[in-house]
Amino acid sequence: MARRAEFSAQTLSVLAALCADPREWRHGYGIARDTGLKSGSLYPILIRLADRGLVEARWEEGQPAGRPRRHLYRLTPEGLASAGAALAATPARAGGRGGRRVARGELRWAD
Amino acid sequence: MGGLTRGLAGWLRHSARLVPAGRRAWVEALWAEAGQVPAGPARLAWRAGGLRLIAREALLARRAAKVLVFAAAAVWVVHAAWPGPAGNPATAVNRLNVVTLLPALAGLPLLARWLFGPGAPGPMARVLRSGGYAAVLVLTLAKAGVEQVRDNPAALPHLSSDASVPVTTGMIYTWLVESVFLLVIGLYVAAILAVTARRPRVAPATLAAGTGTGIALGAVMYAVAPLGLAGHATDPWLHGFPIALVVLLAWVLLFGGPVLAGVVAARCYRGPGSLEQIRKARIRQAVAAGFLAAAVGALMVAVLGSATIALMSRAGWVLHWLYPGQHLPAAVSYANQLAASVRADNYGTILLVFPVIGLLMGLAGGGLAAPAPLLGPPPGGGGPPRPPGHPAPDPPGGIRLAAAADGRLVRLPGFAEDSPYDAEPALPRAG
Repeated sequence: MARRAEFSAQTLSVLAALCADPREWRHGYGIARDTGLKSGSLYPILIRLADRGLVEARWEEGQPAGRPRRHLYRLTPEGLASAGAALAATPARAGGRGGRRVARGELRWAD
Repeated sequence: MGGLTRGLAGWLRHSARLVPAGRRAWVEALWAEAGQVPAGPARLAWRAGGLRLIAREALLARRAAKVLVFAAAAVWVVHAAWPGPAGNPATAVNRLNVVTLLPALAGLPLLARWLFGPGAPGPMARVLRSGGYAAVLVLTLAKAGVEQVRDNPAALPHLSSDASVPVTTGMIYTWLVESVFLLVIGLYVAAILAVTARRPRVAPATLAAGTGTGIALGAVMYAVAPLGLAGHATDPWLHGFPIALVVLLAWVLLFGGPVLAGVVAARCYRGPGSLEQIRKARIRQAVAAGFLAAAVGALMVAVLGSATIALMSRAGWVLHWLYPGQHLPAAVSYANQLAASVRADNYGTILLVFPVIGLLMGLAGGGLAAPAPLLGPPPGGGGPPRPPGHPAPDPPGGIRLAAAADGRLVRLPGFAEDSPYDAEPALPRAG
């Protein structure tokens, strides 16, 4: 029986979006725009990634004017390593620009 | 649109309580982002995704609840079926059933998931799985009650003369029968898990057709044999012509029901593929529906009948319900219970034979229905079949048409553009 792939194509696209600038905290709508995922698909993926310790999440500090506080996400160091390995083993179109850069070792969490 | 979005927002806010506390932050996060999404359909879709997230997370919590419900039911079955006097052979049999069936019920879903994939989505598959598990648990419990009555050594002198006591009552015979029973029940559970898994691709319509027919068959069979299966109907309510009619209906449903379910399942099937693939898929659906119809019917009559017999000795209202308006002396009532508990063994025959009949009849239903709805001409056009590598010749004039993706007919390249068939047809001249 074939071994199941570690990440689905949708999860890879989320990882690739988060890899674009691993130090930057991203919000859900921004990731949804980058990946084209619907909210009902994106958030379960973020939840699973957070459960596995690959993504860290925090609420925006302070109360911004005119809108509620946002939940922000970015890859953990372990998440960046996993994303790099997964995207390296994936056809380029699934990884996106950020994913390809991580896969090539051009981006590191500590950069 | 604005009202719909606001309504959905309110719904999202309230239904977030369904999600476990540790997950609610994610729903709130999605909710907080909604204001950034452009108003209109996009925002509506974003909030609809929130409802999907809530449903998903709430269902995950429900999965944990299901495990707890099963564990509680298992404890209850152990509590009811385990105790018994040491001198009663039923005690050992019941304990064997408990220690075999409960681990099997717990482990088979894992095996089924590995072999057939996770459970199929949709309410029909979920109802069938839950119903199947509930049925097996109730059957285990009811069977324990029946065994305790029947195998009680003190009961034998009270058996009525028409009670068919098994000739071989030694322990080897008992263990053999019990092993077959456990194997059959294990196969039932495995089959239910398989047809409700994703990989076998049994359509919801197939599950509905099979289950619906099975419930009808089970109800009629229960009307015929509520107190065990014998050469005659054991129904205490009906006599003469009415019971003959019900028996006839049971036979018709046993053989005709799976055929009907198979035909319905095959006709309802809509799937991709060539005509041959669709035909094979329809036959598979028909076989699954036929099997389900007979298996659900068999399980239903076995569960209801065993439960009725088990309750005869425990609940007075069951006797009143079975023999309305009759005052049965205690000895007669006890003899009836013993006779019924002996006949309950024959439900095993139903459990064994019905699915085989269902499979065959479902196959027949598939054979009837699958070739009928031809969606177009056979590949290669009309005429006699040709050997491989010998395509049909081009039509006169060199025109070949193919269906374009958008449904229009277009001319394939490489064929005569100025075919005489394009010209207006000339009217034959008179004279």
